Amino acid sequence: MKCEDYKEAIATDPSWEGGEAHLSGCAACQGYRDDMQALDRRIQQALSLRVPELDVPELPELDTENVVTLQARRRISTPAWFAVAATVVIAAFVGVRMVGNDVTYPSLADEIVAHLDHEPRALKVTDKPVSDRALTRVVPASIAEMNHEAGLITYARTCVINGKKIPHLVIQGEFGPVTILLMPDEKIDGPVQINGQSINGVILSVGSGSVAIIGEDKENLGNIQQRVVDSVSWST
Amino acid sequence: MNNSNVAAARRRRFDELVGVFHQDMYRYAAWLSRDRTIAEDVVQESLLRAWKSLDSLREDAAAKHWLLTIVRRENARYFERRRLETVDIDNLTPSQEALLANQPNEELDEMRAAIYRLDDDYREPLVLQVLMGYSTNEIAEMMELKQGAVLTRLHRARHKLRDKMQEEVADRDRCNDP
Repeated sequence: MKCEDYKEAIATDPSWEGGEAHLSGCAACQGYRDDMQALDRRIQQALSLRVPELDVPELPELDTENVVTLQARRRISTPAWFAVAATVVIAAFVGVRMVGNDVTYPSLADEIVAHLDHEPRALKVTDKPVSDRALTRVVPASIAEMNHEAGLITYARTCVINGKKIPHLVIQGEFGPVTILLMPDEKIDGPVQINGQSINGVILSVGSGSVAIIGEDKENLGNIQQRVVDSVSWST
Repeated sequence: MNNSNVAAARRRRFDELVGVFHQDMYRYAAWLSRDRTIAEDVVQESLLRAWKSLDSLREDAAAKHWLLTIVRRENARYFERRRLETVDIDNLTPSQEALLANQPNEELDEMRAAIYRLDDDYREPLVLQVLMGYSTNEIAEMMELKQGAVLTRLHRARHKLRDKMQEEVADRDRCNDP
């Protein structure tokens, strides 16, 4: 890689972690990267304007006559889950997409199970990890430190549970994807089992927060739980 | 479940999503419009539109992207309606000034002014990447551009800002010389 190429890449994204081989032997590019990263920090500070209090306008009443409601959440069972194409999975879940929107969750566990049904594309069998950049974006240092010991992380998005933004990760388990929800502000008294059709999981108390781990019903979560808990530390 | 419960659940979902992403919506609107008052109007219109089309949002995980896309369209509509003239940074309205005078910090004010002066084409992808955390692929999709165009704009935007800040530092040094 030439200096010109490296500098071009870093100017489009100062958090880019490629070009290590070139960088280690080029002081000029190291300096350029440091400058660009410092510039980005100042840009971010400048962009972070003070935001006025939320002022929701008067919202019109809408016709809810035709809203379809479902009484129970269902999850697709394995091994059929593995076999069907992604489109079929999505189509299967479209039918239950209103679930969760019309249910008052009796517990954190119920909300978590409903959330999994909301986000079926997270549950994809893949060996492609999310980028470090995506992982850092979803699990910023201000929330938690998380290393890669937890397993192969193949999905990372910021989601909303109990009104709070939380990191939603997926790692690949032995029998399929395993969902990890990091909830630094959800304090629980002790472990909470999550049981549903073809899933098993647990919400574990970790420091001042909790972590939910949910996999397929055949998945042995014991080892995964230990790895996940060991790999996470809250920042606050 | 009766209709009132459905309506209440719908409102609860709306409030939760808006509560979480309101700051992102406002900041995006502010940097698109470069005017606090317009940003507030755009956010209000966006909230109304989001409320009306909430059922089209299939996954809450996509809420941020969905809401910011609404903000982007509402901002475009606003400027189509008003056909506002190009902003002259030396002749700003109080509402435009308010965007720049955010915090009493000279260096940050200079950076904010430099971002303010960037062309829309450069400012928007920078906001989406640095503030909203989007990848260049996602920005390309949002702005309906090719990824190469996004890369070029981000590259140029940073170089413009770096050059401008270096000029400011040089100016300050000259002023401080005896």
